[in-house]
Amino acid sequence: MIKTTKSGIPGFDELTSTDEFPGGIPLSRTTLIYGPPKTGKTIFANQFTYDGLENKLPCLYITADQGIKQLTMSMMEFNWFLQSYIESGDIYIIDGISQLGGVKLDDSVNYKTTTIGNPAELMIKVGIGSRYVYRKCPDFRSVLDSTTTMFAFNPEQMVLRVLNAYIRRNNEAGGAGLMTYTEGSTTDKTEQQLLSLFDNLIRMDGDTITIKSEYNQSENPDNFKSVYSIGEKGIVVDH
Amino acid sequence: MKKTHIPKLDDFLGGGVPKGSSLLFSAVPGVECEAFGYQILNGFMEDGNKGFIFTNVAEPSNITYEFSRYGWDLETRIKQGEAFFIDGASSFIGMPPDGKYIINNHEDVYEMVKKAIKDVEDGVGIINNLSTLIDYNDPDEIIPLIKGWNEEASKRGTVLVYLFTEWDYKPDLIESIRECFDCVVSLNSIEERVIIGQGFMVTSASWTKPQTHMVLFFIMQPGGVKIYIPKILVTGPYNAGKSSFVKAISQKSVSVDRMALEKFPTTIAMDIGHLDHGGFVADIFGTPGQERFDLMLDILAKEAVGAFILIDSSAPQTFARAKEMINKTHSEAIPNIIVANKQDLEGALSPEQIRQKMNLNDKIPILPTVVTAKTDVKQALDTLLKHLYG
Ligand SMILES: Nc1nc2c(ncn2[C@@H]2O[C@H](COP(=O)(O)OP(=O)(O)OP(=O)(O)O)[C@@H](O)[C@H]2O)c(=O)[nH]1
Ligand SMILES: [Mg+2]
Repeated sequence: MIKTTKSGIPGFDELTSTDEFPGGIPLSRTTLIYGPPKTGKTIFANQFTYDGLENKLPCLYITADQGIKQLTMSMMEFNWFLQSYIESGDIYIIDGISQLGGVKLDDSVNYKTTTIGNPAELMIKVGIGSRYVYRKCPDFRSVLDSTTTMFAFNPEQMVLRVLNAYIRRNNEAGGAGLMTYTEGSTTDKTEQQLLSLFDNLIRMDGDTITIKSEYNQSENPDNFKSVYSIGEKGIVVDH
Repeated sequence: MKKTHIPKLDDFLGGGVPKGSSLLFSAVPGVECEAFGYQILNGFMEDGNKGFIFTNVAEPSNITYEFSRYGWDLETRIKQGEAFFIDGASSFIGMPPDGKYIINNHEDVYEMVKKAIKDVEDGVGIINNLSTLIDYNDPDEIIPLIKGWNEEASKRGTVLVYLFTEWDYKPDLIESIRECFDCVVSLNSIEERVIIGQGFMVTSASWTKPQTHMVLFFIMQPGGVKIYIPKILVTGPYNAGKSSFVKAISQKSVSVDRMALEKFPTTIAMDIGHLDHGGFVADIFGTPGQERFDLMLDILAKEAVGAFILIDSSAPQTFARAKEMINKTHSEAIPNIIVANKQDLEGALSPEQIRQKMNLNDKIPILPTVVTAKTDVKQALDTLLKHLYG
């Protein structure tokens, strides 16, 4: 049976649980959340991250859309306060954006900067970060928000290679991986190839959330589908 | 001959690299590679040569900053005309370009780098990164491009160093890339679920018969590429034969023992040995078996790249303790194998019986030995090394 970890999203674990599957986000696997822009993909990822931190599950967080300042601010809107977890070392942040703006922030033990246009360096930091969180707890979480920015700065084939290496590294280490992607931001062919890298897919379209998983299936396709809303405490899924 | 200034590498290559030769540093994703290129450039300049960096991964200002973190002053070198950039990154990420040559079109790369090779005759050029070039070019064009540059470099006496990350390319593409070079250095990882160590190894060199064993390294800021001798841990319950095992696999060893009850020796601090096995060198640390020395295990485990867990196969009452130690090495992500020692004693359990009794999964190798008679000790050693280096 596949091991899972709580998603931290009210209603989501209940929606995804079956006889063979405890519900939630699978460990030793990487899940892709995708959908049109502004449908709550990042909120989902951050809610998952924060739930882990509150439950002593460390997180490797790669931020590619927003720098660390923006990240902490946008999480604060939901009363998710990252600062103390940055200080305690429970979150390991790889910041792919701040350097691009010409900001030279100093690295620390659990905060590393890199440029999103340098995938080889990103993978090195992912390697070091994975080791760091793995040693804290083997049931760690690993979040990348978002792959869309990576596609904007690199050849598409290159990004697919990098994500493939990243997924392998995460799955090997046993973490619960989660990435986001904005539909339509690459060619159709790349998008197809991207989706095929994952065996657990979550689509959010603004109203409905749909889960498609290779190891958690149902005869009734509507079983893993529900409406969701975004409130001041984050996402809530009806079930 | 020119020096690379990478520790050990010059020795492995018979003193250095010939003028005009081409080098490929080929890294598994996740293993540090850039520092090798930067250190070579810095070393060449210290020896009075000129050099350039072609970058398509980070803007020049970023790389200059990275140099300063290593403790190397690229900015002054550039001002003095000893070094320059070919900027193939900035215009593609919307930053102001900065360099002697600026690439606005991928088609211009070939000619500009060729010019640069000529500019630094007898010096060095760093190509960072070949992988990104591959995905910007037609796969059929990449080999002629590399060959063209290498030919020019050989004509001008310029050493060309390519940094390459081996993403999931087709194996025959990687093979034909490797064939374009005078020298290939592979950068690999040692992993146990996560990367716990990095090593380099010369895979080919056209001018000499290179030494080909793997050397472990880490990257220091400041400092650059530093090599280190790995630590191998020998642990296990009390009286399992750890001290005897350390002696058996080491060329030299010392134990810090004390006579327990004044009858037999037990290790109170640790056993230390030095291993040199077919070019592979390591420091061996044997831990004390008694529980009050757990702290020592904690300290030693932090730096180890591999571990032997010794057990007395005839003493099942110690297996629970052994299991604890196995879990410990797992949580530190240290590759380990189990040595089922004292197979000569009556009642010794076979490896399979031990696997069952301790409820161990099939992935962990269990090797039967009689350490006192040196039986199968070498197999145990080879098994761990193979586990580490693939
Ligand atoms: N019969 C037999 N005796 C062995 C074997 N290996 C070691 N011994 C003996 O077992 C005893 C303990 O060996 P050591 O090497 O001191 O064990 P250790 O694990 O270092 O012990 P501590 O440091 O006290 O935990 C010694 O008397 C060894 O001679 C073996 O394969 N067969
Ligand atoms: Mg001993």
